[in-house]
Amino acid sequence: MPPLGVFLGLSTILFAIGMVGFLARRNIILMLVSVEIMLNAINVSLAGFSHHWQDPRGQILALFVIAVAAAELAAGLGLLIALCRNRPGVNVEDLTQLKW
Amino acid sequence: MSAVQGAFYYMAAASIASALLAVTRRNPVHSMLWVLALFLHVAGIFLVAGAEFLAAVQVIVYAGAILVFYLFFLMLLDLPSEVAGPRFGAHWPLCALAGILFAALAFLQAPEKEGIITGGPATGNLSAVGTALFRQFVLPFEILSLILLAAMVGAVVVAKRRTGP
Repeated sequence: MPPLGVFLGLSTILFAIGMVGFLARRNIILMLVSVEIMLNAINVSLAGFSHHWQDPRGQILALFVIAVAAAELAAGLGLLIALCRNRPGVNVEDLTQLKW
Repeated sequence: MSAVQGAFYYMAAASIASALLAVTRRNPVHSMLWVLALFLHVAGIFLVAGAEFLAAVQVIVYAGAILVFYLFFLMLLDLPSEVAGPRFGAHWPLCALAGILFAALAFLQAPEKEGIITGGPATGNLSAVGTALFRQFVLPFEILSLILLAAMVGAVVVAKRRTGP
């Protein structure tokens, strides 16, 4: 079986890719999807911990992360629908009302 | 290298590649499809780690529900101009630098020696997860259902069209 360090390295790389996607993309939907990539990276490390210590608690925490991701999707896309009703486009560089 | 290990390293490499493609493709629908490939490979990684229930939930909830909902939303909005414009903000080199720095710092923090690996996948894994979920973690489980309900009601309230005064 692969050792724990490989799980953690994979998780780190996936998290970094998701972080770059969140910071760099201009499309707000793809920014939300990058958040999902980051949550998945965390789930990989939780599954690795659960396997390493033979403890089901890691898997339960990962299940909770998946449920919170579903809640985030519902709230985020609800906000996005309200946003797209008021202005066209999903480019984050156009959303500068809160910037002084 | 055993077959399981080979499968694991294949799925690790494929998930990194599909994540990279997902954040760099110009067409948002292509990005979504690469994210779908990433989620399926991560489900395979869960299988190798002995988390069968988590793999099933990953395929059903993540790939089947969350990502399809994102795709519906993307196609509902219908943004032909997205393909023409630049896909990254002007500050993307800084973002890439931040990502590389994050990964480098995390790898620097890795300990020299690892603990002892204990055995293969446990037997009766699914029953262990279910027992812990409904005995030890039954209160967080119920709170989670409240969170989902609150998110659902909040999404309906926020997305509802205002009518009347």
